[in-house]
Amino acid sequence: MKVIEVDHITKDYGNQKGVFDVSFFVNKGEVVGFLGPNGAGKTTTIRQLMGFLHPDEGKVSILGMDCFEQASTIQKSLGYLPGEITFMDDMTGLEFLHFIAKMKKMKDFSYAENLMSYFELDPKGKIKKMSKGMKQKIGIVCAFMNQPDILILDEPTSGLDPLMQNKFVDLILEEKKRGATILMSSHLFEEVEKTCDRAVIIKEGKIMEDAQIEKLKHNRKKVYEITFASREMATQFLENTSYKEAEVSENVITISMSSSTDQFIKSLATYEILDLNVKTQSLEELFMTFYGGKNND
Amino acid sequence: MISKTLFLRETKSNYKIVLIFLAVLTMYGSMVVAMFDPKLGESLRAMAESMPQIFSAFGMTSVADTLIDFLASYLYGMIFIFFPLIFIILVSNRIMARYIERGSMAYLLATPTKRSTVAFTEAIFLIIGCFILAVYVTVLCITTSAILFPGDLDIGRFIILNIGLFGVFLCFSGICYCSTCLFSDSKYPYAIGASLCVVFVLIKMISQVSDKADKFKYATPLTLFDTSGIITGETSAYIGILILYGIGIILYGIGIRYFSRRDLSI
Repeated sequence: MKVIEVDHITKDYGNQKGVFDVSFFVNKGEVVGFLGPNGAGKTTTIRQLMGFLHPDEGKVSILGMDCFEQASTIQKSLGYLPGEITFMDDMTGLEFLHFIAKMKKMKDFSYAENLMSYFELDPKGKIKKMSKGMKQKIGIVCAFMNQPDILILDEPTSGLDPLMQNKFVDLILEEKKRGATILMSSHLFEEVEKTCDRAVIIKEGKIMEDAQIEKLKHNRKKVYEITFASREMATQFLENTSYKEAEVSENVITISMSSSTDQFIKSLATYEILDLNVKTQSLEELFMTFYGGKNND
Repeated sequence: MISKTLFLRETKSNYKIVLIFLAVLTMYGSMVVAMFDPKLGESLRAMAESMPQIFSAFGMTSVADTLIDFLASYLYGMIFIFFPLIFIILVSNRIMARYIERGSMAYLLATPTKRSTVAFTEAIFLIIGCFILAVYVTVLCITTSAILFPGDLDIGRFIILNIGLFGVFLCFSGICYCSTCLFSDSKYPYAIGASLCVVFVLIKMISQVSDKADKFKYATPLTLFDTSGIITGETSAYIGILILYGIGIILYGIGIRYFSRRDLSI
C-alpha cells in the first residue's frame, strides 16, 4: 500500500529552480532515502508533502489524502523534522517540547522523555543559547515523540556528532521494526545504506534514480587492478578485448565494470598475471556519480 | 477555531509588552485628567490662540470647557492613538510575521492544527490585546475623573468615545495583521502595514494644521473617528465608527483567508 505518493509534480521557481515532473512513492513500512545535492529540490518536494506549498502541476497525497487540502488530518499520523531548525527562541527547550506536545494533543510525555535521555539532551536552557546539535536533537524529539505512523525527515542528522548519528540510525531501525513509514533526505550515504530499503535520487529537480538499496549495491562497479608480467602483454590484452574504461600505466591496467566478471576472468587466463586487486565501489562513490553529473555506466 | 495552547503561549510571550503599555497609558491618562481645570479653559484658550498650528496638529482644536471635551482633545486626538499603534506594530510583528519569517511556523503546522486555526488564534490574540488597552483606558479615565472631578464626566458619551477608539485599534491592527499575512516573503513583512499606519497618523496631523491641508483628511481612516461628533451625538460620527469596525474585520478576514491558502516557504 502506498502511504506517500508524489504524482508528477512540478513546482517551477524559474531559473531551473524547483522540481519538474517528480514522481515517487513510499510503501507502508518502507524506509526511503531521498538523496540529492544541495538545491536539487528535496526540500521543495518535502514542503509540498507537508502542505506548505501547492504543486503547480500534479498531485501529492499521504494516506490517500491531498497534502494541502487535508494537511491537518494528515498531521495526526505524521512526524516532521524540518531541514531548517528554527524554534521559538524565547522558550526553553522543555517548554517548547511541552508546547508542541500539547499542540499535537499528546497525553503521554514519557516517550519524549525517553528520547531526551537517549540522545543525552538537556532541554532546560533557552533555545536561543543552544548549539546546532542541541537544537537538532530537539527537532528529532519533536518529530518522534508521539510515535507517528509516518515520518518525514529533512536531513535529520545534520549537526549531530558521529556518536549521535549512530544513535539516530538505531532509532530509525527501531521505528522501522515498529512499522513506521519513513521518508528521509540525507547526505550521509552510510546512514542511508544502513537504514533505507530504497533510495530516490533527485538532481536539478528531476528524479535520476529510484531503486532498492540492494539493487544499487549489486550494480556497483568493481575496480580491477591487474599487474601484467610485461607492458607488451598489457597492451596486447587491451587490443584483444574491448574494455573501454581502462587506464594503463606501464604494465598495470585498471578497469572498472559492473558485470560480466566471468568473461573478464577467463580473458585474463591466457596472460601471465603478477598481481590482481579488486576494489568494490562504495555506495558513496555510486551516489557521487549522480551528484557530480558524470554518466552512470 | 481557536487553539487554546497557542493562545496561552502568545499570552505568556507577550504579556510583558501589554503591561508596559498599560503603564505608559496610565501615566499619560491620569496626568491629563488631573490637568483638567474647569477654570483653566480661559488661559488655555489664550495659549491656543497664540500658537494655533501646534495645538491643532495634536488634535487640540477646540479648547474644551467640559471634561469630556478636554479628554477628547488631549488624549483621543493623539496619545491614545499613537501609543496603542506602537503596541499594535510590536505585537503584530511578534505573532504571525515572526513565525513565517523565521520558519517556526513549520512546527505549528506540523501538528494537527489547521492553518486557519493558527491564523484565527493569532488574530484573536491581537484583537484581545487591543481590547484590553481600550477597556483599560476607559476604566482608568472614568476612575480618575470620578476621584478628581466627581460627576463632571458624561460617562455614557465617554464610553461611546472609547467604542470608537477600539474601532481605530481594530482598523490599524487589521492593516498590520493583513500585511504580515500578505507580504511575509518581503524582507520586512511587518514594515508595510506599520508604515502605512504611521503615515495615516501623520496625514491626520497635517490635515489639522491648516485649512489648506484640510483635504488630506480624506486620505486617512482616522477621520472616521470624529471625537467631537461623537460627543455631540452626530449620526455621521456613529457611522464612522461602524466603518472603522468594518474595515478592521474585513482586513482580518482577508489576512486569515490569504494565509490559509498561500504558499509558505518554511
